[in-house]
Amino acid sequence: MELLTNKSYNSNINIDPRTKILVLIILSFIVFSDAPLYSTLILISIPFFCLFISNHKKAAIIYLILFIFAQISLIYLVPITHGALNTISLTFGNLIARMAPSILMGYYVISTTRVSEFVASMEEIKVPKSIIIPLSVIFRYFPTLFDEIKSIRDAMKMKGIGLNFDSLKSPVTLMEYFFVPVLINAVKTSDELSAASLTRGLSSPKQRTNIAKVGFTYLDIILIFLSLLGLAFYLLYSFGGITIA
Amino acid sequence: MENKLNVQDFITTGIFSAIYMIVVFAVAMIGYIPIFMVALPPLIAVIAGIPFMLFLTKVKKFGMVTLLSVISGLIMFLSGGTWVPLLTFIIFGIISDLILKLGSYKSRKMSILGYGIFCIGIMGKMLPMWVLKDSYLGYMTSSMGTEYTNSVMWIFQDWVFVLLVILSFIFGIIGAYIGEKVLDKHFKKAGFA
Repeated sequence: MELLTNKSYNSNINIDPRTKILVLIILSFIVFSDAPLYSTLILISIPFFCLFISNHKKAAIIYLILFIFAQISLIYLVPITHGALNTISLTFGNLIARMAPSILMGYYVISTTRVSEFVASMEEIKVPKSIIIPLSVIFRYFPTLFDEIKSIRDAMKMKGIGLNFDSLKSPVTLMEYFFVPVLINAVKTSDELSAASLTRGLSSPKQRTNIAKVGFTYLDIILIFLSLLGLAFYLLYSFGGITIA
Repeated sequence: MENKLNVQDFITTGIFSAIYMIVVFAVAMIGYIPIFMVALPPLIAVIAGIPFMLFLTKVKKFGMVTLLSVISGLIMFLSGGTWVPLLTFIIFGIISDLILKLGSYKSRKMSILGYGIFCIGIMGKMLPMWVLKDSYLGYMTSSMGTEYTNSVMWIFQDWVFVLLVILSFIFGIIGAYIGEKVLDKHFKKAGFA
């Protein structure tokens, strides 16, 4: 099952899935609000750090450079430009500075978490099966789904169907061409996963045992501390009106 | 045991939640063009019609639509939203589930109506725009600039919200009809539905 394995998984560094999700929630909570720069800086360093210590060094560095450009555009370009240029620099700046951290963190979580680890750690905090199983299916199915969508779009492009004027004249046909292969694959995948889940004993009512080791290490503590620090700064700023630095 | 959801139901729900989320995210991207922002809920309703109707053919027990709603709401929350969509999704998911139960999960009319109701849930994503109008406008001005904000100012009136709820429902029904047609054309004869 290619769906259930992961290529970019690095066994040297183990961050608990619960930590990853906690950081993801805090990140997504803050990057969409108007947070002060120092709190943003603490928080954006987390996905950078995570990506850097895993197998995504290149992505981490590109992200850092883009982030610096985005901040420059937000701080220096926005006040002096007008009209369309202003909108462009604002949109670029905010897209990178606000949305990229949570998107990258999400990418990191999905690409480095094994399903077995995720399930093990969620079972430990007693999340019901009805939530764990669909979520773990989504985690593993998203990358496959993107691959499929890409191939379908390529195949459609070869026949001249796509987001162009001619095919947009009949949007329903376009939807049909797109969804039918996606859905047929989806139904097949769901059958395969059901078979796989039987062999993994997911349907057994008894308590499962796990090979995957989950637990908090010093890295988790650092990450949780950093994200809580960022959150605290943010809360102080937006509710207490206190500005540090 | 018959009426309890089993692992296979959970997996089916997961797969279709993923497809639904892809539709939502893909459509949300065009929300960057000011005028299209209000078109998001009806657009999502039409486009997600095909996958959702296929999903409903797999639904035979109470709770699967609710579960899909919970999972979609959770994903939206994790990917940087508020908790409001989670709440509205659950409410309209349960109503939709009840409607499907009335048709004992077979009736086509009830499926179409159920999807229409489910579609209203997505309005939770937009609801903060009206409830927290001031802070939303502030956020928008700071992130998109005053020009963008002024061009979408008219949206922040109550009647637009009501209109959107109604439109989501109507377009949901249309999407469900398209979905049924596509199901008949492709999936029924392939034995998938």
